[in-house]
Amino acid sequence: METKFELQFGSRCRTRNFYLENTLVLDGGMGTELQKRGLPAGGVPELLCLTDPELLKSVHRDYIAAGSEVIYANTFGANALKLARTGHEPAEVITAAIRIAREAAEGTGTRVALDVGPLGELLEPMGTLSFERAYALFREMVTAGAAAGAELIVIETMTDLQEARAALLAAREWSLLPVFVTMSFDESGRTFTGCTVESMARTLEGLGADAIGLNCSLGPDKLAPLLKELCEYTRLPVIAKPNAGLPDPVDGHYDMGPEAFVEALLPCVEAGVSIVGGCCGTSPEYIRQLRSALEGKRPGLRQYRDGGFVCTAQNPVRLEGVRVIGERVNPTGKKRFQKALLEDDLDYILDVAIQQEEAGADILDVNVGFPGVDEAAMLPRVVKKLQSAVSTPLQLDSSNPDALEAGLRVCCGKAAVNSVNGDPAVLEKVLPVVKRYGAAVVGLTLDQEGIPQTAEGRVAIARRILDAALACGIPREDVWIDCLTLTVSAQQEQGRETLRAVRTVREELGLQTLLGVSNISFGLPNRSLITQNFLVQALGAGLTLPILNPNQKEMMDAVCAFRVLSGEDEQCRAYVERFAGDAEKKPAAPGPEGLTLEDAIVKGLQGDAGRLAREALETQAELELVEKRLIPALDRVGDGYEKGTVFLPQLLSAAQAAQAVFEAVRASVEARGGTPVKKGALVVATVQGDIHDIGKNIVKTVLENYGYDVLDLGRDVPPEAVVEAVTRHGVRLVGLSALMTTTLPAMEETARRLKALENPPAVFVGGAVVTPEYARRIGADFYAKDARESVEIARKVLG
Amino acid sequence: MKIDVGEALRYLGIGDAPEDLRRQAEEIAAGLEKALRPRYVYRVFPLEHTPEGVRLVGADAVLTGKSAVNMLADCGLGALMACTLGSAFDLRLSALQARDMAKAVILDACGSAYVESGCDAVEAELSARFPGKYLTDRFSPGYGDLPLDLQPRICAALDASRRLGLHVTESLLLNPVKSVTAVIGLSERPQAARIRGCAHCALRESCPYRKGGKRCGDEI
Repeated sequence: METKFELQFGSRCRTRNFYLENTLVLDGGMGTELQKRGLPAGGVPELLCLTDPELLKSVHRDYIAAGSEVIYANTFGANALKLARTGHEPAEVITAAIRIAREAAEGTGTRVALDVGPLGELLEPMGTLSFERAYALFREMVTAGAAAGAELIVIETMTDLQEARAALLAAREWSLLPVFVTMSFDESGRTFTGCTVESMARTLEGLGADAIGLNCSLGPDKLAPLLKELCEYTRLPVIAKPNAGLPDPVDGHYDMGPEAFVEALLPCVEAGVSIVGGCCGTSPEYIRQLRSALEGKRPGLRQYRDGGFVCTAQNPVRLEGVRVIGERVNPTGKKRFQKALLEDDLDYILDVAIQQEEAGADILDVNVGFPGVDEAAMLPRVVKKLQSAVSTPLQLDSSNPDALEAGLRVCCGKAAVNSVNGDPAVLEKVLPVVKRYGAAVVGLTLDQEGIPQTAEGRVAIARRILDAALACGIPREDVWIDCLTLTVSAQQEQGRETLRAVRTVREELGLQTLLGVSNISFGLPNRSLITQNFLVQALGAGLTLPILNPNQKEMMDAVCAFRVLSGEDEQCRAYVERFAGDAEKKPAAPGPEGLTLEDAIVKGLQGDAGRLAREALETQAELELVEKRLIPALDRVGDGYEKGTVFLPQLLSAAQAAQAVFEAVRASVEARGGTPVKKGALVVATVQGDIHDIGKNIVKTVLENYGYDVLDLGRDVPPEAVVEAVTRHGVRLVGLSALMTTTLPAMEETARRLKALENPPAVFVGGAVVTPEYARRIGADFYAKDARESVEIARKVLG
Repeated sequence: MKIDVGEALRYLGIGDAPEDLRRQAEEIAAGLEKALRPRYVYRVFPLEHTPEGVRLVGADAVLTGKSAVNMLADCGLGALMACTLGSAFDLRLSALQARDMAKAVILDACGSAYVESGCDAVEAELSARFPGKYLTDRFSPGYGDLPLDLQPRICAALDASRRLGLHVTESLLLNPVKSVTAVIGLSERPQAARIRGCAHCALRESCPYRKGGKRCGDEI
């Protein structure tokens, strides 16, 4: 027995391979077992290693006697956040807990794992804990555990893929121990945060876990279908550590006995699960029966389902058929985008991404390279911003390895990297980064000599890139080849060569193929005809990943039709959905006769408001349009809101219609090179400790559409960050929001610091628990009972 | 579990909604019901009435303050409960806020109504499990003088972070945001409804309805 472990824990790779073919028995529940032995529900079990080591040791010993080959030290919640109020440090608790487990295991051959559970706070974007801070907290646990003599690391009960990523990265980067990762899923096949089994499997395998699986939440009967699914999505050993069924809601007792537990778990082993144990509600008796049932058994053979894949936690995208990569999150040739990058206007970039997603992009290419932009700092920020509201997987587009590394590190899910080429110097720099984060990689079929003029030349480079990727440990399915689109008006024969190369790469190498199609028609009239035609031919030749602008209707129409003819669009459902309404829609345009700009704004008709504004701007000056027509219309809505005849959603619809008018004004001003119409800037923030930001966002929407420049600092904003923004931008008005009584002190502190400035700005406050009296007391200049009132305040202060 | 759309609209201050607004709210509510369901846990503890408050036997928590003492005066058992829409709702809401703020405020209100439906489901289950017992109104930390700092204790006693993905922040806010924790007493005698009134509400000072001489439970 002992030699088996000596061998297997010696190296990671051997651990993996060994446990594909052999079973390993873990321990059972710790928390529920401690409660059985007298710990009250809700007590802090981690401190037992300091207060009652013998109790812990007795649980470990019972599991070892029952046949556990690995025991989890009692360190599940021993992180600095959870221990903060106990007066103890993670290192102290972890060292003691590992020592106790090792003492219990001494001479038995049983191995001791550092157990790493969730931090107990939600990470961005759902919570306010940053990825970097989470990583640091996990790192602290990992270094303490490794120093104390843990023999492997188990990361368990994770429900947020991003948190699991942070923990796994910390474990990989700060120890040499094998790392197991298990997450908790609902019957629906998702975690609490919406992560799917396939997203979890492929992301964590790519990031270097040694075994992955499921624990907690449900009994083995309910987890079985998910475990079987998991066995198809990974080449790693699969772990199952289920609960003893479900707890009785009234008294907390779990409903599945050891016999039923083992009986339900065995089919999972037959399906390929090889590492097994129990979670909440299981006891040493469960483990004893499990161990004896597994005697002489080997895990069943598995069928790995390969094929290209990218994902975010919530959105797995299998590369089967045609997947459209949206190209517009890119500053090249786009003034407005360049300006957004230089002015740090991430909201605009998010907006572009949302439009791409809504138009049908399956993957978004993200490029933020522009002179004056620090790409390595900007790319991770943009990735975080996009992933706060867009669930489409990302393709990070940069030639800067530092930027790629920084972007991939914070990117939740499995991303792609665009791009490498056949130049060995480039491959050497970028492929290790791709491998480290488990990304897919785009290889351009060119090298230091330039672009080969023949299909054969490009295919030869594709082979070189594939070989280099394989040598680096990147699987074949993660290598995507771009055969390069050249301009047909300049080199007419190159259209054909590109198509031939695509066909060969797809048929002979079996790789995903990628092309940016629009370049084909450069310099020709009626470009979209040529581009669309080329796209269709390329898809026919085997193009799987067209890069295009999904807002161009002709392109998405062509993709949609191709999916019907290739059989991908089953029963033509997507096609019918896209086009069936066409016949009825046509007569409705161009909108009701006699609709005025004012009506369009009041009724919240965005499209009409934008169109009517553009028409009006042919005869009316921008400023006049804003002052004489837009603002009075908004005021009409605001007055109605005041009187209770217009409701909040309608007020916001009108604000959004006003946005369309402002876009028209902005375009008109830019077209004649004038100065933008601006009414002054203000800062808004939800105060430190507060996470409810919809009220602040309402105020922002309304104020922006009165023409104010709103610097939104977000939620949970520390007082010093508000002060810093105010002094840096010289802002004269600040709006602060707080929802809870517990966060009012933070509002008071922020107001106090603002008022202590040499030239203090005006401050207005609002939020559910804020009252006019309170506003006065903390020295705020105004109390805003709603968004409408904030407009009046902005008028008074900023004009 | 269904969303009471009328209730959701009332949260937005809309009593008699125009037809198009009601239809929009119904669509958003239907989309939300399809996407996710409130999840909840609860657990019943024997109560011990002590000088410092009402102790939940077997949990590491004592409910202090007059509200708890009054509410639970007749009760030998008390349930702790937590209900949440989960962070999937928060992600949905922030995604919609980036796209359409008008729809987002409706989704936000639907979320509030939905989590209340989840709490109602807990009460219905408790009634079914304890025939012959009478339930008090459910009340939460922050109501009356029930301290907000009970929040972490309640969540720990329910193992809510593991079982629901529900966390308490340092400033005692529940995260995900559409979440409720509450106490419900179980008594042998019928219980008068007490909690649904402005006197117990933390928002009584700033409530727009009260200023207008109305109450949020009224048809506006």
